[in-house]
Amino acid sequence: MLINNPTGINYFFVAVAILIITGCTQNNNETTQAGIKMLAVWAHAGQAAERQVLQSQVTRFNQQNPDIDITLTFIPERHYNAQIQAAALANDLPDLLEFDGPYLYSYIWQNHLLPLESLLPASVINDLLPSIIEQGSLGQHIYSVGVFESGLGLYARRSALQRIQARIPSTTSEAWKIDEFNTILQQLAEQDNGHAVLDLKLNYTGEWLTFGFSPILQSAGADVIERKHYQNSTGILNSARAVFALQQLQNWIQQGWVDANLDDAAFVTGRTALSWSGHWDYERYRTAWQEDLVVLPLPDFGFGSKTGHGSWSWGITRKSRYPKAAAKFVRFLLRTEEVLAMSNANGTVPGTHSALHLSKYYGKNGELRLFADQLLHGVAVPRPKTPAYPIITTVFQQAIQQIRHGANVTQVLDYAAQAIDQDIHDNQGYPFTSTTNSSGP
Amino acid sequence: MPPDLKKKDNVNAWLFVLPALLGLFCFVLLPFLLAVVLSFTNLRLGSPLPTEFIGFTQYQRIMTDTAFLHALKNNMLFALIVVPLQTGLALMLALLINHPLRGMSLFRTFFFMPVVFPLSLIAVVWTLLFAPGPEGALNRMLEFITLGIWQPRDFLHDPHWALPAITLTSIWQGVGFQMVILLAALQAIPAELYEAASVDGANKRQQLFYITLPQLRNALIFVVLVTTILAFRLFDQVQIMTQGGPLYATTTVMYETVNTAFASQQIAKGAAMTVVFFTIVLFLTLLQRAIMKQEKVIE
Repeated sequence: MLINNPTGINYFFVAVAILIITGCTQNNNETTQAGIKMLAVWAHAGQAAERQVLQSQVTRFNQQNPDIDITLTFIPERHYNAQIQAAALANDLPDLLEFDGPYLYSYIWQNHLLPLESLLPASVINDLLPSIIEQGSLGQHIYSVGVFESGLGLYARRSALQRIQARIPSTTSEAWKIDEFNTILQQLAEQDNGHAVLDLKLNYTGEWLTFGFSPILQSAGADVIERKHYQNSTGILNSARAVFALQQLQNWIQQGWVDANLDDAAFVTGRTALSWSGHWDYERYRTAWQEDLVVLPLPDFGFGSKTGHGSWSWGITRKSRYPKAAAKFVRFLLRTEEVLAMSNANGTVPGTHSALHLSKYYGKNGELRLFADQLLHGVAVPRPKTPAYPIITTVFQQAIQQIRHGANVTQVLDYAAQAIDQDIHDNQGYPFTSTTNSSGP
Repeated sequence: MPPDLKKKDNVNAWLFVLPALLGLFCFVLLPFLLAVVLSFTNLRLGSPLPTEFIGFTQYQRIMTDTAFLHALKNNMLFALIVVPLQTGLALMLALLINHPLRGMSLFRTFFFMPVVFPLSLIAVVWTLLFAPGPEGALNRMLEFITLGIWQPRDFLHDPHWALPAITLTSIWQGVGFQMVILLAALQAIPAELYEAASVDGANKRQQLFYITLPQLRNALIFVVLVTTILAFRLFDQVQIMTQGGPLYATTTVMYETVNTAFASQQIAKGAAMTVVFFTIVLFLTLLQRAIMKQEKVIE
């Protein structure tokens, strides 16, 4: 029948095509039945233990709140931001969204997030670590809260340092000066027949390069961008201080002191005596070296030892129909016992004062207290608070890769600073206007 | 054929190609036209600022962009090496495997297996094989073969070795696909041709050059075209093994495009890159087709 009617087939195909193209865009995460508030929550797919804790928190929250039904979706960490951007374009953002700290300002600029101070009681906000409030706020408002914080430092084998009679710093103010650190690397290498002695986690790519190595710049009195107006990188990222700092990094690699760490086991197998890494490696390192493990601050490049901070945090989207219900879940996550459960699962610094006190590792006399002190006493520098962050981190990561491979540091940083400035210029300085966000700074 | 029947044939023919045309239109032509339009704007991913037409600025930028120019050069170099090498190797393997020996299906499976594996998995495995220092598998093997003359090196982080390393990985992964196509073509060559040739006193070499290769002509042209296009699409290995480094030695246009459009959120600049790239690949493909005309099968 259809065969005799070619136009019929035509229409049929067009109809099928339209069905296929439109079929997937139906929004199905907001169906309300019998007054139940359906909440969509997106989180990053972190370590298995971390996912399990969050899953159990959602399950328990749903049981305790019969009027709220949370659907949790895990999204792979790699290209997380690109996926958020795609979802935003498709008008498909969830109610509650987890994101890596420094992307916050980009999302505020794009007007995706609600201010939280009217949704969360002051007592909850005041209990957060100052670094989390610092990262989560812009202008007069706070837009994101984190359940945990991150730590960055140097892990070392005490015995290896004692063999070369190196001083072992216990606080950030006692951190090794850069010359001292270079001497230590050289002596360790001599002890080890010229083998690599430092692990810089060069097996990681992506955000690690900014998180792990931008504190070097800040410790040398430089930065990736000017911090008051966030309008230019030229003169900052390619300043003489920045060049000096990253030349040190390049020198370590060219001297053969740095392990490529392809197997991610340079430190646990004893190939290197030092590992430049974060809180996430503590448990593995502690199991491998027991009492011999020490946690040290990063070296001081002239302006004091600095470190990075910031981690995954939660924000409520403007699209959410039930921001109050979403905030209720955030409050649940910030209960002391829940914060501790998460911290124990992924090894992070607990994000609230009350949980920090009770933490075995980060509390007073805890073995990782150094990380908590760095956060509490201003040693940790937040990553740039500007909507330009995605481009800054991309450009800086490429610069670090090139420096690693022996490119001329001055040229690389000139090029990087110019690329960042160009993007800021193209975005008219990333203005917060009334059309982008009524509550910007 | 009566005219009305012929007309009906035409209608049916169009009906049969319609789904394919629709797909090509929706997923190739439309995105390309969109890319052309976008490349003249300043569209940024997720920006609340209004999009404006800014003329040829994006093209000016990419033409002075060190990374993009390196990417173009690397793509050319990669295609220039991979296409002849991979086609030649596939032909050799196909000829080898075409012998009716016991256990040949086992070899066939082995050579074809890398095609079935996900590229990302293969890239990770080869990263481990290329591991630096005397502990790396390839370094150790070369040291053994050269009786210790070989100095271990960090292949993927050495500007001279990174692209060859990726080339080797790609050929190893892809050659099985071309081999299977050529094998099928080989087996379609009528045995009578060989019989007649040997009756006429042609030796094996003559049979290869005067029967096998001419009979494989169409298949070879197809393989060369497909390999060229696949070579220009190089992305996965770069993303996983080198991230474009060291010092732009392995960056490709696809890699730069994805990075620009999604990591740097500069959609318009990425679009301009794809337009330039598409034009180049289209031109090369047309050139190839003009040089190597496929023989039409006898009607």
